[in-house]
Amino acid sequence: MMVLLLALSACSNTDDSEKDLDMPQIADAGAATAPLNCQTFHTGETISFRYLFTDNVELGNYNIEIHNNFDHHTHSTSAEECEAEPVKAPHNPWVFNQSYCIPPKSISYTAENEILIPDDIDTGDYHFMIRLTDQAGWQQIKSVAIRIE
Amino acid sequence: MLHTILAATLLAVAEPDSVINLSGVTVSGKARHDYQTQSSQSGIRVSHDYLRENLSGSLMQTLEHVPGVRAMKIGSGQSKPAIRGLGFNRMVVAENGIKHEGQQWGDDHGLEIDQFAIDRIDIVKGPAAILYGSDAIGGVIDLYSNNIPMAAVEASANLFCRSNNDLIGLAAKVGGRHGNWFYKANVTASQYADYKVPTDSIQYYSYYIKLDNRRLRNTAGRERDLSAALGYNGYNLNSTLHLTSTYSKSGFFANAHGLEVRLSDIDYDASVRDIDLPRQSVEHLKILSNTNWHNETLSVKADLAYQRNLREELSEPVSHGYMPKPDNPLERRFEKSTFTANANLRLALGEHNELKTGATLEHQHNRRSGWGFIIPDFDTRSFGAFVFDCYTVGSALKLNAGLRYDVARTTTECYTDWYTTPTADGGREYKQRAENLRRKFDSFTWSVGMCYSTGSWVAKANFGKSFRTPIPKELSADGINYHIFRYERGNAALKPEESYQADCSFSFENDVISWQTDPYVNYFPNYIYLCPTPDYVEGLQLYRYTQSEVLRYGIETQANYKIHSSLSLDVGGEYLFARQLSGEKKGYTLPFSTPWSANVGLKYTFEAIGGGHIVLNTNIVGKQSEIVPPEKPTDGHCTLNLALNKHFETGICKFNLSVKADNLLNKRYFDHTSFYRLINVPEAGRNFSVVLEVNL
Repeated sequence: MMVLLLALSACSNTDDSEKDLDMPQIADAGAATAPLNCQTFHTGETISFRYLFTDNVELGNYNIEIHNNFDHHTHSTSAEECEAEPVKAPHNPWVFNQSYCIPPKSISYTAENEILIPDDIDTGDYHFMIRLTDQAGWQQIKSVAIRIE
Repeated sequence: MLHTILAATLLAVAEPDSVINLSGVTVSGKARHDYQTQSSQSGIRVSHDYLRENLSGSLMQTLEHVPGVRAMKIGSGQSKPAIRGLGFNRMVVAENGIKHEGQQWGDDHGLEIDQFAIDRIDIVKGPAAILYGSDAIGGVIDLYSNNIPMAAVEASANLFCRSNNDLIGLAAKVGGRHGNWFYKANVTASQYADYKVPTDSIQYYSYYIKLDNRRLRNTAGRERDLSAALGYNGYNLNSTLHLTSTYSKSGFFANAHGLEVRLSDIDYDASVRDIDLPRQSVEHLKILSNTNWHNETLSVKADLAYQRNLREELSEPVSHGYMPKPDNPLERRFEKSTFTANANLRLALGEHNELKTGATLEHQHNRRSGWGFIIPDFDTRSFGAFVFDCYTVGSALKLNAGLRYDVARTTTECYTDWYTTPTADGGREYKQRAENLRRKFDSFTWSVGMCYSTGSWVAKANFGKSFRTPIPKELSADGINYHIFRYERGNAALKPEESYQADCSFSFENDVISWQTDPYVNYFPNYIYLCPTPDYVEGLQLYRYTQSEVLRYGIETQANYKIHSSLSLDVGGEYLFARQLSGEKKGYTLPFSTPWSANVGLKYTFEAIGGGHIVLNTNIVGKQSEIVPPEKPTDGHCTLNLALNKHFETGICKFNLSVKADNLLNKRYFDHTSFYRLINVPEAGRNFSVVLEVNL
């Protein structure tokens, strides 16, 4: 039995190389990277989203989600704290939630999307959440604090 | 502690029914009078003394150093059991013969048991489907609170405290016997503060969470348990009615509930003892009756039970996606009622052959509420019947074989959101998250085993099939799990999960050395696995229930060497390997894979001033790099622990004092199977605990 166990453990180590154990990465995409932490936008404008996604094996999909931070719940992943507006109650907060595909077999992809900020939304502090997966199911999250005026 | 471990070693030497007390752990021979139906299985009996000497924040944490058993910790006062790496619905906890039914499926749902009300524990490692039906794949933790008081009145009290979370608690027990009648009552109450970790901050993603005085914010809690029993113990007939009620309330780490980092206006640092949001509370009520009638050749047993589990999880309401901010903090509420009836019959067919047969009927009724949806309302009705035969050949060899059939019907109710979501055509709809579903599952299970003993040696082997009925969350979840921040989708087409296991056990024991080793191999053709996908649904990563082939194997070993009449050395260790052989995660392990571990302990027993012992123990845990998304590799660690146990008597009172120091060097380390591991929260720092037991 112990010999069997040893044999099993010996052969099972051989498939380690097939496994992807690394998360995908979200990085700045040069000077045009947007949105940046603490950046201000205006209603009616467009946010020109641009970030660089990389993975060691194959990228999966990404999602952009924007929600208000009027209550200062602050889950920014940036070390830098932005100056926040006073706490307030939402009336017509902007909710944006959209998933995007990345071409198959990509290990590097510069994501670019134009996101229109509606005219009639509450202005104030928002969180711009970027979520990225790879094909193995690893996820990377980046949270950017933005202000809409 | 390692000394525990040796326990099982003694199987060999023990006469049927004999019980050997070794290093505080009473280990029973795996003889037929102990586990009539499972004589070939590997098992350990844990005594009341062991529980007292190793007392930790929760029952499973107390049992954590029993080889093959793990506690999946949720803070300092709650934990989930796992046997040989299988937890959740892949193992069974039973109390006085009745399967304990709470919300076992939840990552953050601890076991609702008062550890002071337990008299002894039998741990079965390996499949036990023949007796317990669905879920008993990894094994069974069989809790017994059926010791009968010997005196007209007897009483005891335990005062216990822990330094790491400033816990203070009291457990009091009273009981008595009048002729054939007896009664018992227990009350336990404890309260603890936020626990201390050896770090100033938690780093999660790139976010630094600073801790106040190295305490994990909002992890305080309290517990209150009551139990009572009334019984009749005659020559042929005995019957006991048990009533237990447990209540616990505990906070979750405030800065990262699940995977999301959050700040709050709540002033968590105002007090280390207050329990703010997010938090959970659980009430578990159990009414249980055991009746047994026997004569020389026949034994008939009937058990009836009603359990009600009420769980509430509260967190600060926030809007998420299209869900507006709820107007109350009640995120989830589950109310589950379970009715169970067992009937067993044991018949001696001549001198060498014993037949056991039985049936179980169970009904579960589960209702949910709160603004967070994760499982729908459901009802499950199940029936199982088995036959098991044990045949003795000569005096050395015992053979057994069993067969069981189970059938279960699950009905889930449809659920639609309480808020609207925009549709593709510009309108809004109340999205349906779960549909009406009726499923019927059935399964045949079987086992064969042998036990051979000669001189100081015992060899056992067992081969069997076990299974698990898919739970409603696996069948019909379709929503956001706010505790982990992922989207979970069930699969209505899941088949019952099946498992085949071969295990064996070799042991040797003489006056100086005892040794036991237990290897096993386990194969699942269709393990139910919540698979992380690259896809997004409503802004969160989609996890989908799938079934894949899984191979697991492992070994536990332990040895004890008596260096001197008062000095002994304990050594033990365990190793477990799991691999998915098919499906999207082929080549990966399973979630929460237990890393290898080893224990070395030195025990000095002294006779002076009433007697007692001191144990110095080191626990070494290996690195776990076998992971599956979203887990992280966990480095190995080594902790040093010291325990002292001392008896003394004054007048009519007997005292027992246990003092324990865990993590003496205040090492900062992570536990791969802890709930807070994913967010980089290290395990508790140095802890001193004291238990003073007074017996009248």
